[in-house]
Amino acid sequence: MFSFFGKKSSAKTAKDRLTIAIMSDRKNTTAFPFMEDMKREIIEVVKKYMGVKAIEIKKEIEDGVEALSIDVQLEGK
Amino acid sequence: MGIVIAVISGKGGVGKTTTTANVGLGIAMNEKRCVVVDFDIGQRNLDMILGLENRVVYDMVQVMDEEVGLKQALIKSKISPNLFFLAASQTKDKSVLESKKILKLINSLRDEFDFVILDAPAGIESGYEHTIEFADRAIIVVNPEVSSIRDADRAIGILDSKSQKVKDGEEVLKYLIINRINPKMVQSGEMLSSEDILEILSIPLVGKIPEDKGIIDASNQGKPIILDTNSAAGRAYSRISARLCGEQIAMENIELPDSSLMQKIKEMFQ
Repeated sequence: MFSFFGKKSSAKTAKDRLTIAIMSDRKNTTAFPFMEDMKREIIEVVKKYMGVKAIEIKKEIEDGVEALSIDVQLEGK
Repeated sequence: MGIVIAVISGKGGVGKTTTTANVGLGIAMNEKRCVVVDFDIGQRNLDMILGLENRVVYDMVQVMDEEVGLKQALIKSKISPNLFFLAASQTKDKSVLESKKILKLINSLRDEFDFVILDAPAGIESGYEHTIEFADRAIIVVNPEVSSIRDADRAIGILDSKSQKVKDGEEVLKYLIINRINPKMVQSGEMLSSEDILEILSIPLVGKIPEDKGIIDASNQGKPIILDTNSAAGRAYSRISARLCGEQIAMENIELPDSSLMQKIKEMFQ
């Protein structure tokens, strides 16, 4: 009975942490449901025109600005 | 036309296979023809929980590949004449699953049975996606614990975007089972309550199962705990099975202190 001593119960902490984690999980999957398809298509297009070693596509959020960064590593000669 | 229910959880080890076995048997005990199918290719376990491991000759992959007929591969339970079991392949891996073949298998099971219960593999990979692909409904099993609930939410997200029913513009009916509840810990604020979990996941509840040592004993023997009418978990599974068959049974409150004032005073002196 932690509440008697004014300490937050761990169940309450779990609920708060879960609520926030799940909200952010849901946002990431529902905001860009096409992400996986788009990634695959971009990779196909780039590969069509140049030799590609690796492609990395990331969605970043920094200071409230959302950005999509595409890193293309070209095949070295 | 039978109803296809996938049993899912996201996280492993929360009681998915135990739930499949008990709910399957419970539905059969309600006079419905029921088949339970192990979709966990490569990690066959449902056979042991049902006590049928020595009777597996053919598996569902062989049925899908048309190496054997469905009737040959179905194993009839000794416990209930209404319960049948179809084993997972133990030697192959998840990559053998193909949508077209799965649909054909599920449709032939639908024709034969009132309920088709699919035990999904843990995780949210292709094996999981194939299990939920043609399901009409889903049972989501969680433990009152952060990682289980978060993983379940991800699994629900995939269910709501990748199942055929959703693609056809319909909804997959969901039933939440909260497993391994420790009433004392809920009362002392050390464990998430079912209200907390319902608020976070916002899907309908079909039953709560208390933590029960008898579950291990039941799986040791290959006799699902629903057969033990003295066990709290067994009785919880009976109520869930009846609800799934359409019976209206009030939700139990296993989280309330069950002891009288006198018992509490006794406990204080123990």
